[in-house]
Amino acid sequence: MVAIFLNDVSVNIPIFDVSRASLKKALIGRTIGGRFAQSGSHLTVSAIKNINFEAHDGDRIALVGDNGSGKSTLLRVLSKVYPPTSGTVNIIGNVSPMFDATLGMSMDATGLENIQIAGTIWGMTRAQIKNSVDDIVDFTELGDYLKVPVRTYSSGMMMRLAFAIATVRDPEILLIDEIIGVGDMGFFEKAFLRLRKLIERSRILMVAAHDDDILRRLCDKAIWLSHGSIIDFDDIDTVLAARQHDAPAREAAAS
Amino acid sequence: MHMNVQDITSERALPPSKTMLIPPSANMAQSSAQMTYTVGSTISDEVLAGFREWRIWTILGWDDIRQRYRRSVIGPFWITLSMGIFILLLGVIYSRLFHTDIRTYIPFLAAGFTVWGFISQTMNESCMAFNEGSRIIKQIKLPYSIYVLRVMWRNFIVFLHTVVIFIPVAIIFKVMPNLATLYVLPGLFLVCVNLIWVATVLAILSTRFRDMPPIVATVVQITMFATPIMYPVSSLAGASIIAEINPIYHLIELVRAPMLGTAPELRSWLIAGGLAVVGSLLATALLVSKARRIVFWV
Repeated sequence: MVAIFLNDVSVNIPIFDVSRASLKKALIGRTIGGRFAQSGSHLTVSAIKNINFEAHDGDRIALVGDNGSGKSTLLRVLSKVYPPTSGTVNIIGNVSPMFDATLGMSMDATGLENIQIAGTIWGMTRAQIKNSVDDIVDFTELGDYLKVPVRTYSSGMMMRLAFAIATVRDPEILLIDEIIGVGDMGFFEKAFLRLRKLIERSRILMVAAHDDDILRRLCDKAIWLSHGSIIDFDDIDTVLAARQHDAPAREAAAS
Repeated sequence: MHMNVQDITSERALPPSKTMLIPPSANMAQSSAQMTYTVGSTISDEVLAGFREWRIWTILGWDDIRQRYRRSVIGPFWITLSMGIFILLLGVIYSRLFHTDIRTYIPFLAAGFTVWGFISQTMNESCMAFNEGSRIIKQIKLPYSIYVLRVMWRNFIVFLHTVVIFIPVAIIFKVMPNLATLYVLPGLFLVCVNLIWVATVLAILSTRFRDMPPIVATVVQITMFATPIMYPVSSLAGASIIAEINPIYHLIELVRAPMLGTAPELRSWLIAGGLAVVGSLLATALLVSKARRIVFWV
């Protein structure tokens, strides 16, 4: 069984950079994104607040919300990067986060060496890396470039390689933060297909993104976050429609 | 995340009475989520698991070395070369200064200084262990000990590149290996165990308090002069107590003495061993108590 249970989960992130009293007051007065609060001797930002939800086998959940609404924080709680400040997190199954595909890429190592380094950091065994090298090489279409340091790559080539390495795994619970474009348009469809296959291999998907069309193609449910709280958790069309409906009101409130 | 030194100092300068009234983040410590994080599971997840994940810290450590010397013709052997020149020059000058025989002084300096280099550089670099791993720390959950072991491994590789300088020195000055030379292995092991706990403590403190790295650098530099590394302990004459109470001296002796063909003294073993046990417990306790905070500090 694979499942996620979050019960009343909150995360307060301490901020150490800001400690001058005047700046503190200035920030506490603002309510963009998360809410600032004073906790003990230093400032904290309440990134997510009293989150409750369950996800089960087969769920494909989109996380939508404005910048700073808590999408990334929630994903970091699920990936165990952030321990919750309060509440309980119960996750059954292996969590496989993919927040920044270029994680573990070393500029001075060659493409092939990077497959070893990044693959190891992503948690692949030696045998898994060995078995997937051909697949990665084929997908990137980089040929002999894989024998030279990544430093010489264009950003598009670099993304291809990083994306290819990050998408070979067999995830149980797949967490994706932002789906970024991979190179030119022709390559994008190829990358999207690969991403789709990765998602099909996963049992639960949670993905944060700003592109509603892409999210509709990948997900059937959606969680709408605002200021660190869940506004709505329903099937994706309902949530996106509700959010669309709310947009003029939000713009009015902002101006 | 960029950290402003002035902010940190002013934060720490808050009067203690204020923090007494409102214990900092007391609400964070008493959550129900805490129940699932027992001391036992934290030790297993954050400390022991890191040793099992040796593939990660060895590949990261190697990559660090590679990045430093990529495109250089002789690569990490620059370390060997610079250490060789340093020892030769210092050996000629200091043997006159201390009126000692150059034939015993250069092997003594070569053995002691390479071990000291390993200890001092690991201590300095361990301050940045979590900061240099911050990209990984913020994205995937790995045991925190991985980042400390990566620094250890990288510096152990550097140590191996410097210690080779002792081989020609031993041949030229006829330092014959004997049975006592074998003590080098347990000696080096105890040095490593002690370095791991010191590095863990320094990594945690430096991540939270950004004034730590320069403090550590200063202490390390002073320690070099206060420890018999460039001068023999005998030259301290009546003041040899300065060396005896210095644990770094005993750690160096555990490796240096066997390299020079003599067995280390029993009390050096006892001090280094006792320190390893007490220090490891201390470092583990500190890591367990701060494991849930480090990600917010990097």
